Amino acid sequence: MLVKINSVANIGLETVPVDVEVDVATAGFPGFTIVGLASKAVEEARERVKTAIVNSGFDFPPKKITVNLAPADLPKDGAAYDLPIAVGVLAASGQLGLPNGTIYFYGELSLDGTLRPTRGILLLALFAKHKKNAIIFVPAPSAAEAGVVSGVTVIPVPTLADLVRHITGEKIIAPLPHTAYAALDEEESADFDLKEIAGQEQAKRALVIAAAGGHNVLMWGPPGTGKTMLARALPGILPPLTDAEALEVTRIFSISGLLPSGVALIKKRSFRAPHHGVSAAGVIGGGTNPLPGEVSLAHLGVLFLDEMPEFPRSVLESLRQPMEDGTVEIVRVAGHVRYPASFTLIAAINPCPCGYLGHPRRECKCTEHQIAKYRHRISGPILDRIDLTVMVAPVEIEKLSIAKEYSGLSLGSKEAKKAVIRARNIQSKRFAGTGLYTNSQMRNREVRQFGKLTAEAENFLKMAAQKYDFSARSYMRLIKVARTIADLAGEPSILPVHMAEGLQYKQLV
Amino acid sequence: MLPHRRVENWKKLPELANLRDLSHPPKELYFSGRWSPDIFTSCVAVVGSRRMTDYGRRVIEKIVPRLVFEKKTIVSGFMYGVDQYAHEVCMENGGKTIAVLGWGIEQVMEGADRKIADRIVSSGGLLLSEWKDQEATLWTFPVRNRIVAALASDIIVVEAAVKSGSLITANIARKLKRRLWAVPGEITSRTSSGTNTLIDQGYAKMWLGDTPQQLPIMKDPLVQLIQEQVLTANDIARRLGKPVSEIGAQLSLLTVTGQLVERGGKYYVSEN
Repeated sequence: MLVKINSVANIGLETVPVDVEVDVATAGFPGFTIVGLASKAVEEARERVKTAIVNSGFDFPPKKITVNLAPADLPKDGAAYDLPIAVGVLAASGQLGLPNGTIYFYGELSLDGTLRPTRGILLLALFAKHKKNAIIFVPAPSAAEAGVVSGVTVIPVPTLADLVRHITGEKIIAPLPHTAYAALDEEESADFDLKEIAGQEQAKRALVIAAAGGHNVLMWGPPGTGKTMLARALPGILPPLTDAEALEVTRIFSISGLLPSGVALIKKRSFRAPHHGVSAAGVIGGGTNPLPGEVSLAHLGVLFLDEMPEFPRSVLESLRQPMEDGTVEIVRVAGHVRYPASFTLIAAINPCPCGYLGHPRRECKCTEHQIAKYRHRISGPILDRIDLTVMVAPVEIEKLSIAKEYSGLSLGSKEAKKAVIRARNIQSKRFAGTGLYTNSQMRNREVRQFGKLTAEAENFLKMAAQKYDFSARSYMRLIKVARTIADLAGEPSILPVHMAEGLQYKQLV
Repeated sequence: MLPHRRVENWKKLPELANLRDLSHPPKELYFSGRWSPDIFTSCVAVVGSRRMTDYGRRVIEKIVPRLVFEKKTIVSGFMYGVDQYAHEVCMENGGKTIAVLGWGIEQVMEGADRKIADRIVSSGGLLLSEWKDQEATLWTFPVRNRIVAALASDIIVVEAAVKSGSLITANIARKLKRRLWAVPGEITSRTSSGTNTLIDQGYAKMWLGDTPQQLPIMKDPLVQLIQEQVLTANDIARRLGKPVSEIGAQLSLLTVTGQLVERGGKYYVSEN
């Protein structure tokens, strides 16, 4: 007897339907074959399915069983076909009658017949949403991520035996209740509050500007001055993710299998800090069936590169495409996929290899040549995409206590976030219908259209350009930063003070 | 023809006191634009060759924005080349400019002249002439130069050949005891021979865009603080108890105008 079960394959963030055809033949030598470009993980499903069926108290028919995963030319990977194959074998051998309707099965089996957490459930739910009256059967431990999708019935299945009892009507499993977006709690969103960081007022201000205008930041300073702490505080001042954004981020985490069990939706902006030993594939994504890399996991969040010159050149250069387009395209034998990768880059750099150049008390041991070589590791095209550069100087012990005295002046993450949200609202009004969201995305044409410099501000800019010998790009960059500063101040046009403040964050090299 | 008026009894106007220094002051004065006495308070004349080289163009782009920033009015002779470019750069930077015409105010202007004249008037500047319907001829240009020189306290010659109208302006400026400046140029360039000679003979001082000129340091608490000690922006903000955004803006302004010097994130008072 032949049965056809519906399932899906996730190619990158795209979901395509897969038919799992199972035939239990009446004649022929007993055997179990899977065809249809199955990977090793899918091949091994035979052993899992066989054992799980037996351990759940059913019979595994000693007959010739053929499983075809159609379309046959699409490579299939992962353990998610365990459940559809097992259900297919049970149905084809007459142990289970399948109900009518649009039903999808998806999930990995363990040998005792329980269902294990499986990645990509959210994508399946989003796919099934567009089918009429669809029901999806998914592993109970991962079912929560499908909860935010409305218009689809989600059945969280604990074990294979429970699934059979549900279908036969012996014991019904309650469908997963729909979770409204607003009902989810706002998570504590950052590791540090800006208030906790002593001194570094200018670096904090740079972070506020970066958060408000979506600018990338380069922090420059000796070790132990708080660069990492500052970067970790950034997610706390970024505006909260909108519904659509949260769904987009959750999809990426779902496909990577990084969604913690029981989490329905990621509402926190991600903070990714890959170590400098990371490979290019680890950063932009890769694998036989390409999975998202750090740039995609940092989508709509923060990518922090500590000690940036220590990263391999190939890794740094691979950041160029995502920084330019906000997406990353990965090409492998199995096909090519595109993942979103629109992040705020925070780079930290020591002034020299030993780290103490310009330190008030410690001596730098590097030669001129070493310093030049160190700085040259970051290419111009990458530096070009960084709008704000800020010095993070060592804080002296005595000053730590002085900072406390003026704590009334130091900015907390809460107020900073409010200011950022205000500035973002101004921007979304300004860019309505242009496809842009933040000032940092403006190209030269938009800078001219929306820059709104007063004549005095332009005059100041020209003087600064003369003095520092700006390139055309630095010139535009300064206008963009000044635009954000003006937005933070709620000013419709850029005044000389905004331009002057922006000049504080010009590049040092 | 732009709407124009006669300046009634100009010799009685305090803002035109400078013009009375001339041995042959104009009999009448006509103008286009909106008359405001403020425009005459601090005038710098930027004059030079009609055959402006690329060097001259760059010199103007460098020096005029700075003068505008210092709230100077740019006075020039409205001739194509250095004069008109000085007017244009001044307006682009939001400054006010006075163009002293080498012909009567009623003469019809065409083409580029007309466009720049319109812009000068609409940007709050003035067109000035001592004649009503005089046609432009060889003698009118050197004659109007004396008004350019007389209106300004400083005269900067950007580019000039040895025999040129700009040197006539320079000579008048010397006689009127105005401060005379010349921008040095290549010794092989004909259009710099006049300016180089002015410097060589000691008639003019060299104008080098970057050195802070006649800029008294403001008695600003920020500058006073830096005079005592070399500090970073964070230190200054903390000591003055002001937000770092405000201090940062102030530091940039003072640095760009040459009063402070920044090295490695720390600020020093400029030596000049």
